Amino acid sequence: MECPVQSRDNADLLLAYCARKLDPETAAVLERHMEHCAPCRAFGEAQKAVWTALDTWEAMPVTEDFDRRLHVRIAQEENRGYWSRLVRPWLPLNFRPALSLAAASVVVLVAFLVQSPQSAPQPAEVEIVDAEQVERVLDDLEMLRQVNLVPKVEAPAVQAM
Amino acid sequence: MVAAAALEPDAELMLRVKDGDAASFALLLERHRIQVIHFVYRMVLNQAVAEELAQEVFLRVYRARLSYEPTAKFTTWLFRIAMHLALNCLRDGRVERSQESLDLETQDTAARQVPDRRPTVEQNLVGQVKLAEVRRAIEALPAKQRAAVLMHKYQEMEYSQIARVLNCSESAVKSLLFRAYETLRARLAHLA
Repeated sequence: MECPVQSRDNADLLLAYCARKLDPETAAVLERHMEHCAPCRAFGEAQKAVWTALDTWEAMPVTEDFDRRLHVRIAQEENRGYWSRLVRPWLPLNFRPALSLAAASVVVLVAFLVQSPQSAPQPAEVEIVDAEQVERVLDDLEMLRQVNLVPKVEAPAVQAM
Repeated sequence: MVAAAALEPDAELMLRVKDGDAASFALLLERHRIQVIHFVYRMVLNQAVAEELAQEVFLRVYRARLSYEPTAKFTTWLFRIAMHLALNCLRDGRVERSQESLDLETQDTAARQVPDRRPTVEQNLVGQVKLAEVRRAIEALPAKQRAAVLMHKYQEMEYSQIARVLNCSESAVKSLLFRAYETLRARLAHLA
């Protein structure tokens, strides 16, 4: 047989052998090959070690009220409305509480906007006032600069006199 | 009649659930509950989240009863739902790692409750270290490789069924398993 370690196509034979899923005839052929093939032997031993290590991992016992909780959820499902039953399967698990929270937030926001429609345009007015103030200050500075230039030119003439 | 006779028992039960037989659903739950919970638990490594997800799996099965058609093996469908939910959970990062130490502690307690084979303190410690290494090695695998290994090792599924659950080809499954076991051999071979 073609060496399973050398040939990728036969590699799953070694995995199946270590999982004891190989039929007896193929297993016998593989065992004969492994007797004189060190890489396959090493592969087999390492894979068996992995298999044994994985065997030590026993899953946790299931809580006693698992079925009861499930049946409660099924009963709730049955009592739920048509629309909810239609939409719910399309929503991710963690999105469901967020959806109700988001809906509540939207209602509160809409109520707030309806009650105070004047409050929104105020920032725009503040911006206009700021721009005007800046223009005025720049004009004032330009005027001061021009005023300051006059004595600087005239001062030496006064001192010379 | 021929088609009905060829149906696997689980598919027959599911068809009865479709017709409104609640007892058949209870039977399906009884048959597959533990396998599903254990698979999801090993995927997400958190007992509480695993049970919550397993409940969602069976709830989805129940919801889909009216449109159920036995086109594939029942367990293929069941584990496809379970894997899908577990992968989503891992992707969303909803699993709390703090549960890990509690799980180990409880498992240790369960082991000590067996009177005939009560392990010594040293054996307990060695066992805990080994278990922690196995869990870390499995956790380090990419999610799809992890799912493939869990189905292959603990559910004893054939390559063809794993391929249908993962929605890929058999050769892709072989490749996934080969790479996953290669990583596990590098990390766990010294435990022998």
